[in-house]
Amino acid sequence: MGAVYIPSQYGLLLLPLANVQVKAGDSLRITCRYSHLGKAESQTLYAAIGNSGWAGFDEVLHASKTISVPEDTSWNYREDYVDINITTALSAGVYDLYAKIGGTIPKVISPTLLDVVEMLAQTPDSQFGEISITGYTKV
Amino acid sequence: MAQYAEVIEITAPGEVQAGSRVDITVKVKNAFSSAIGVMVGGALEFGVSPWPGISFPEPSTNVNGGAMYSFAGYFTMPDKKVTIHAYSYYYGADGSWHFDDEMTRIVNVVAVPASQFGSIEITSYQRR
Repeated sequence: MGAVYIPSQYGLLLLPLANVQVKAGDSLRITCRYSHLGKAESQTLYAAIGNSGWAGFDEVLHASKTISVPEDTSWNYREDYVDINITTALSAGVYDLYAKIGGTIPKVISPTLLDVVEMLAQTPDSQFGEISITGYTKV
Repeated sequence: MAQYAEVIEITAPGEVQAGSRVDITVKVKNAFSSAIGVMVGGALEFGVSPWPGISFPEPSTNVNGGAMYSFAGYFTMPDKKVTIHAYSYYYGADGSWHFDDEMTRIVNVVAVPASQFGSIEITSYQRR
């Protein structure tokens, strides 16, 4: 199970996060909350699944979409989502999540949520192991 | 120079966001020695013709000689700087309103800053 540190009046609080189990063919909806001020503009909302490490975030799957942000004359919180299609590019295991707004040079990047996506092992193809007669009666 | 109904002051904010309501007051003094009927009107100059008016819910009243009265009005801020024109009228013995005085005041529009994002956080992640 993953966790994230959040600031509070008592210092940093460790907030445990439930992980979500996925398999190939699923879609993972990642909902983000962001703050905005100023003129309306269109930007890219981007989210990725992968592994966070000392060298940065190693992305395995990602998705993005264009969001139209209306004019905000004062700081406003808004919400939007992006769906990542889960494929076999993700092997069994646990993964991290992050999101950002912007292109190559992001405007804002979210904190990384660690170990919140669990890719389940693939169900094997149908196969039969053995058969035995368990009874024989007159009908 | 006003004859009877002198516009003393326009009270309005210096700058306002476009599209928001702007509340103003127009203070008029009865410069005559006894009570007369005083009325106000107003128009907005910002590049459109004819000039849109200013709403005054109670635009006229009787004002005692030498006294002042503040009329409340409002309008919707356009997307550019606007000049308020406030007019005063007095009620004459001929039974008609007569234009008397004018004052102007500028209200600037608040510029919307360039787009910027402050923060982003993931609030949920759900399999679908």
